[in-house]
Amino acid sequence: MTKSVRVLQLLLLSCFTSAPPAAAESGNHLVTAPHPPVVEIGTDFTATCMIINTAEVTADDLYWKRAQATVPKEQYTKINTTALNVTIHVSGERNEWLFCFCKNVSDNVILNQGKFMHGVLLQKGYRPRKPENISCIALQEETIISPIITCSWDAAGRQTKDVATNFKLIVKVINSIIVNVSTEGNSASVPLNTFPHCMELEIWVEAKNKLGTIQSERLRRDSGYFVKTDPPANIQIISEKSFPTSLLINWNLPIISLYVGLMYEIRFCQNGSHDWAYVPLVDTARNIQSFRLQNFRPDTVYVTQVRCKDHREDYGYWSEWTSNATERTPEDQPKGKPDLWRIVSESDVGERRVQFVCKDPVFANGRIIRFDMKVQEQKDKVKNTSWESFPVNRSDHSSSSTLKDVLLADQSALKVSVTAVNSVGSSAAASLFIPETAHELAPVRELRGGVHGGQMRLQWKPPNTAAVTEYVVQWVSGDGMDWQRENRSTTHTVIKGDLRKFVCYTVSVYPIYSGWTGQEATVQVFLEQSAPEEGPAVRLHRQPGRNEAELEWTEIPQSSRRGFITNYTIFYKSGGELHSVTVPSNTTSFTLRSLTGNTKYDTWIRASTAAGSAEGSRHSFTTLKYAPGEIELVVVGASLGFLFVVVMTMVICISKKETIKKNFWPQIPNPGESTIGYWSPDYPLKAETPKENCLSGISVLDVDMCDGKMVFDEDKTSLPLKKDKYLSEEHSSGIGGSSCMSSPRQSVSDSDEGGDPVDTTASTVQYSSVVASNGYKGQTPSSQAAIFSRSESTQPLLDCEENPDMLVQEGSRHQRRPADNDPAHFNQLLEMEQQEVLEPLDFCPLEEDSELTRTDEQSADWLPTAPASSYMPQLGGYKQQ
Amino acid sequence: MNGRVQRMSFQQFMELTTTLLPLLLVMAVDSTRTVAASSSNQQCGNSLQQTLKLTRFVQKESVLLIKTYKAAQGEMSELFCKVSVNDVPDPNISGLEPSERIASIYTHLQAFMAHFKRVYEQQTDLQLPSSPLLGELTAVSSRSRDLAALMNGFYQSLFPNLPMPEPAGGPTMLPPPQNVFQQKVYGCAVLRTYKEFLSNVARELRTLKGKVCRRRMETNTFLLRMT
Repeated sequence: MTKSVRVLQLLLLSCFTSAPPAAAESGNHLVTAPHPPVVEIGTDFTATCMIINTAEVTADDLYWKRAQATVPKEQYTKINTTALNVTIHVSGERNEWLFCFCKNVSDNVILNQGKFMHGVLLQKGYRPRKPENISCIALQEETIISPIITCSWDAAGRQTKDVATNFKLIVKVINSIIVNVSTEGNSASVPLNTFPHCMELEIWVEAKNKLGTIQSERLRRDSGYFVKTDPPANIQIISEKSFPTSLLINWNLPIISLYVGLMYEIRFCQNGSHDWAYVPLVDTARNIQSFRLQNFRPDTVYVTQVRCKDHREDYGYWSEWTSNATERTPEDQPKGKPDLWRIVSESDVGERRVQFVCKDPVFANGRIIRFDMKVQEQKDKVKNTSWESFPVNRSDHSSSSTLKDVLLADQSALKVSVTAVNSVGSSAAASLFIPETAHELAPVRELRGGVHGGQMRLQWKPPNTAAVTEYVVQWVSGDGMDWQRENRSTTHTVIKGDLRKFVCYTVSVYPIYSGWTGQEATVQVFLEQSAPEEGPAVRLHRQPGRNEAELEWTEIPQSSRRGFITNYTIFYKSGGELHSVTVPSNTTSFTLRSLTGNTKYDTWIRASTAAGSAEGSRHSFTTLKYAPGEIELVVVGASLGFLFVVVMTMVICISKKETIKKNFWPQIPNPGESTIGYWSPDYPLKAETPKENCLSGISVLDVDMCDGKMVFDEDKTSLPLKKDKYLSEEHSSGIGGSSCMSSPRQSVSDSDEGGDPVDTTASTVQYSSVVASNGYKGQTPSSQAAIFSRSESTQPLLDCEENPDMLVQEGSRHQRRPADNDPAHFNQLLEMEQQEVLEPLDFCPLEEDSELTRTDEQSADWLPTAPASSYMPQLGGYKQQ
Repeated sequence: MNGRVQRMSFQQFMELTTTLLPLLLVMAVDSTRTVAASSSNQQCGNSLQQTLKLTRFVQKESVLLIKTYKAAQGEMSELFCKVSVNDVPDPNISGLEPSERIASIYTHLQAFMAHFKRVYEQQTDLQLPSSPLLGELTAVSSRSRDLAALMNGFYQSLFPNLPMPEPAGGPTMLPPPQNVFQQKVYGCAVLRTYKEFLSNVARELRTLKGKVCRRRMETNTFLLRMT
């Protein structure tokens, strides 16, 4: 066996060596073979490399490279010293080169590398696979079957770009012609002269590429097997008044029966429904052109379609369905009873408003044009009430009709009967009993509502008390209301109405006891919940405090809730700090505490449902700087403190009155009580008189500087009187009370009248002591205040005291230096006072004094101010006394 | 003793076997042949049935074609379609033996195809290209070709050793150039004759169905008996 293989290889070699003259001519010393146009992917490929025209290298020096990689030596087979085989497994779809190289065994090889290499281009592809699932069709063209037969098939296997597979569709009319057409795709059309009716066809597909050819299975069928006609033409549907439950369909043949004998399929459904019902094929005989559909509902629109195919089994394709043929069946008398129900609402006390509503019977069999209604109070059973008609307004798209509103006393019961009437006749009567309020029978127990599979489901337990004949399930949303009836054994049901998502339905279940309505059981259900449409609007309930603010909000309107509110979350934010508080859904106000005073807060509320949440509008407020009452508290505290201080001061003043009096108002001896008063020879008795008006014997005048003139006028009028009466005392006053402004004037005028001041002074000298006081310092710290304390001493003046010249000198010194308590100094002051008394110019009237102020610089420093500032408080003090 | 008895029983068995074996062989071969004959007969029937079906179809189509032809020729078509013409093939089937009659059908079909071609050429000049008559003429001509092919196949299946005889009168004789009226008369005569011929063919095939295919079965059975 091995020998034979070797022999074959040698034969191949001999062929190859003679085959590549081109390589030899080009000077190559290596030649590869074979050079197939295509190699099949997944197979092994063997190539041979031969050394020609040189003995410099041998097969041992050869090696193979494939896609830049050296082929392992295990895949080499040495044929002889000049030939080397390699076997590789063809994989991948990309073309590649298989090169034979020579090792650099000599300089010649190195210098002529181009002559010591040769390659095989491996163009890869897949062998064609047998096409499968051939199907052919010949369509109707106008009134005949088209002579063009179109076929399609599944191309098995894969192709590469360089090795594409072509297909040839071959149609053979048995015993007649054979036609073919080529394509690269998976379908093709073969044109014949005419469609070969009554002939057998044999159809197959041939797949071909560079690697080979293969044919599909042959499809041999009668030509009728491939025919597809047009659908039946001119379909008509006829409604006959005398047959309210049937419709007649007519149509035309799409093609003459000579070419194709047809069978038909008919289907129908109610208008708007796509739940087709099919007429059994056995009922649609061959070549019929009409069919009567029966057992339809009266006054119902039906849609009908028809299609056809070759009547022979497995022959031909079904045509497309015809377009819709739509017709309404005629009306018939209503079957069954109308669905009567009531809506009870509260009215005045002791009354109910009962509204009766009615739906058409399930089998209305036509358009209900009116309802006839009879209302009978149970107390008046004998009374024969008449029927009342309520026309049905068909513009109203609601499924129910409102019949009548009745005000019914709580203690009354009603029986209502209703029949539905269409153009053909009336239905049986439906009855409903409205019991007295107190006698309403028991409701269902443990009513629960939920949603499952996109449907609203209810579940309940029947009442224990009495036998229920049926249930009425009523659902209300906003102003919409509907109901459905369930039989007595029902304990759970699905609401069949057109429910909307995100709407709260109040669902009630009423047990019906032989027509008598029982009490309702109610539950609220959402078909589907979502986030609320809007959030609650928050606002402040009252003005915020310093650390708290009371918020309040209104509930989201029912139409915007879109779900059950599970809770509210209150957010409040100041600066970058966000706080939140979650409160239950039944809360509509909340007080935020621990707020910072004098801070602006933004607040908003998020309402949450099971399916999401929505935030309301934001509201801003600023907390107060001071809490309410805080300012009042401070003011009151301060006031109380001040009051306390005042009171304490007063208490101290009262308790320490003597001390204060002693300090501020020192006891000044009354000159009137002085014994010196009696030594005046001129006025021994008159001197006593002023005591009545002036305790201290000093006449006190409240003198304003501006009122000085008026005072002068008054004084001038009273001057003649006073001159006589008080001459002596005024004179005395001028000595001891230089603080009294009038006294010096009197003294001056007195002196002006011709009195000899020197003599007077010399003859009536009084002792006065001047005491420096701290109280005066406090009033006029800058002035040279002095208290003149009248001395009761009658001791004769010293010589030095009688010398006015010395006093003037001392007075000038006294102006430059404040008085002190030095006794010597005191004496000097006393002398200065005496000097002032003696100098009439010092006791001039205010006018003159003012003139003096302008003329005499020295006296301007202290004379005008000293008497005014130092004596005024002293006058007050005397007033109190 | 026992060995002798055994030998005698063996001999009897062998004799019985020798007698029954040919009979069993004949029965086996007969059953095989019966199955083969039955299959061949069925094939004959199917082939004949299909030929008959196509003949009926073409006949009905020719009726439609004549209507279309008359409608396309305008007035007086009914009148000139009754005129007999000599240059059209004889609608009758000739021959005595089935093979001859089948061959006659075949040659007639060939002849009619030549006439259809002439009529088509004439009507192409007389009708608009969109006229349905041209399409129907093409269709009938094609079906005649198919019918001829089926007849040939049927003949070959029935008489595999008998070559289809050539037409007795040589190539089909077509009429000389004609005027328009003559063309119209000629075309209608061809179609009418063709329809009549197809009626004869259908009748002949129905006859052959009971004659040829059954005889073939009987012949096969006879041959089997002889062997």
